[in-house]
Amino acid sequence: MAAYTAYPNAWGDVGILNASGPVETKGHPFFEPIGTNGRACVTCHQPANGMSVSVAAIRERWQVTKGKDPIFAAIDGTNCPDLPPEDPQSHSLLLERGLIRVSMPWPPRRDDGSAVEPEFSIEVVRDPGGCNVSPRYGLRSAAPAVSVYRRPRPVANTKYFTHQGFGVSPFVGKGPIATARDPETGRPTSMNMMADARVSTLKTQAVSAMQTHLQVTGPIDAARLQQLVDFESQIYSAQSNHRVAGNLMEPNGPSGLGVRNLASGDAGVLGNNTTQWVFPVGDVWKSLPGGAAPRDVERNQMRESIARGHDVFMFRTFWIKDVQHLNTVGLGNPTKRTCSTCHGMHMTGMDVANGWMDLGVTNLPWAREEPLNPWNERKPQMPLFKITCKATAAPHAFLGRVIYTQDPGRALVTGRCADVGSIVMQQFRGLAARAPYFSNGSAETLRDLVDFYDRRFNIGYSVQEREDLINFLSSL
Amino acid sequence: MTRHLRRSSVAGIALLASVSISAAPETHRNFVACPIVRDTSTVPCWLADYKGETYFLTLQTDVSAPVNPPQLGHKVLVEGVVSNEPRICGGTVLKPVVLSVLPELDSSCSTMLPAEERYNLTFEPPRPPGPSKGRLAFAPATPAPRPAPAPDVASKTFALQFDFDSAIAFRHAGQLQQIHEFARQSKAARIEITAYRAASLLSDDSVFTEREDIGQRRAEQVAAVLKDAGLTSVAYDVRWRDAAKPDGVNDAALRRAEVVVTR
Repeated sequence: MAAYTAYPNAWGDVGILNASGPVETKGHPFFEPIGTNGRACVTCHQPANGMSVSVAAIRERWQVTKGKDPIFAAIDGTNCPDLPPEDPQSHSLLLERGLIRVSMPWPPRRDDGSAVEPEFSIEVVRDPGGCNVSPRYGLRSAAPAVSVYRRPRPVANTKYFTHQGFGVSPFVGKGPIATARDPETGRPTSMNMMADARVSTLKTQAVSAMQTHLQVTGPIDAARLQQLVDFESQIYSAQSNHRVAGNLMEPNGPSGLGVRNLASGDAGVLGNNTTQWVFPVGDVWKSLPGGAAPRDVERNQMRESIARGHDVFMFRTFWIKDVQHLNTVGLGNPTKRTCSTCHGMHMTGMDVANGWMDLGVTNLPWAREEPLNPWNERKPQMPLFKITCKATAAPHAFLGRVIYTQDPGRALVTGRCADVGSIVMQQFRGLAARAPYFSNGSAETLRDLVDFYDRRFNIGYSVQEREDLINFLSSL
Repeated sequence: MTRHLRRSSVAGIALLASVSISAAPETHRNFVACPIVRDTSTVPCWLADYKGETYFLTLQTDVSAPVNPPQLGHKVLVEGVVSNEPRICGGTVLKPVVLSVLPELDSSCSTMLPAEERYNLTFEPPRPPGPSKGRLAFAPATPAPRPAPAPDVASKTFALQFDFDSAIAFRHAGQLQQIHEFARQSKAARIEITAYRAASLLSDDSVFTEREDIGQRRAEQVAAVLKDAGLTSVAYDVRWRDAAKPDGVNDAALRRAEVVVTR
């Protein structure tokens, strides 16, 4: 694997940078199958897809391999392992939304294996995949588990979400818990790696992924683990060429765009609006000459649009309302702020502190749910659970004690009612290469993503603002 | 379930047994109400109505502010002092003021008022609504000083204040860190935690009492998070009890936990 490679996508090219230089993939544990199902890490963390995997690439693999590619392994590449593997319907969540099954023990377990006494009960309202009602894999099986379905998160730009900087302390502000610590160093972690923050170091994540997704059965070699950590610590992904705006890595271009700028950025920094912007774009694209050729005019117009989109992200205020772990952490409900209020980490747009919150991606009433209609052939894709919290539990601040959700998120780790539907926010880099978006793949495109926020918070974006914001996101 | 009790009816309550209760001073306003958010041309104001008067509670600022705004969807317990400051956003200013978001949902608390010229702020708010061009939202954090060597004291007492009916919340992370740091540096052998359940004397002379198990919950949560943060080789003495009678003046301070860390 070269030190730098550009891979095409619908918006241009995503750049993958190995900051330590070329990587020999032969024999490398990231690239070669080390488990029993033929998968390697790269199966779901593809350079061409910004080190995640796009649903378009998954569908292509189904077509090319007739469903034999290891990504379709029964363990979690099907809606449930007891479904017939040759039937595409058995893989509908992977093929339609790019979702991998994640089986969470019920009740939740601590790292030492002891059970957490949950503050709520959970019942299955609907389960198109059948795994939550499966006698072998479901909630009433011998090893009770909740199956949820989530997008593989990008394995790139890891220094930003494993940082030890701003906001990392021994205690979490979002609940009565201590911060998860690195088992090797004892130091608190940022807990921003997984959708539910259930593991928080590259090494513990690698072990967990190998044991579950790769079905490694034997002991895990320490040298290989270190090789994985080393690789993941130096790989960067960002859009580096835009099909209309052109080269995003020009020497005098915006200092926050392109993969090389990303690689040299400072980790663990809360972005601001004067010195270390969340995404440093600056003024260089604010007002550009028309250009001589039509192509130049088009390019400069797109660059201006990206610059305006940055300002929409940074400065366009709206009412952020009813978000557990955002409106509950001292900001008030509602709070008149901007996208960058939550997406504040310099260079990635993640939360610089522990980044889980309930935006409404998986919890009703905001989660993507199409009202049923006998004349509509589309059926619900996601499972739906009813959560009933104990009267003694602190309720979810805005949904109370009875919550309908497609994925309880962080609550499947903590057992807390207030955590139902909370998901760790995701980084913004390489977006163009890895649709769909959100942990449950509910936004098929960047437009869907922006529209979700517009609906959720009644933002009222103008057509121009929406286009500019989409163009900005496509350039990251 | 209401826990408002008229003064005349509280004699049998263990919390207040054999203690007579005086009315809250006229300068104080202690009440439970729905918060109201009023937009302005800059940041929103938070208000609440009580007995025909509108009170200004706070502005939207930042999480580090001494007073955090309340939440629509929830009632708020207001414990404040009427000040002589000019009205803000049409409200009489309560200062100082302590706000407790009550945990249970209340869908009747939903009032958002639009910006009106007459209610715009007459001063620049501490921070704008989100970033503003050319001005830092807040000063960059100064580098954390190197941890001081453990002071040569046998023990140190820390106090945690709580919102009404609530246990550990967002703002406690920093205080817990101080306890953790002292215990670690001093190689603490013992941590005594005593948490209290309290009540608030409201301006209508009723007493608003916290849920019965809140003292226990506070004490056990503090112990649990300190253990989870690595203070496992320490002996814990965890207690909870009811606080002294409310007086309508210092009631917020009664909702507390004392943590004594001993070498």
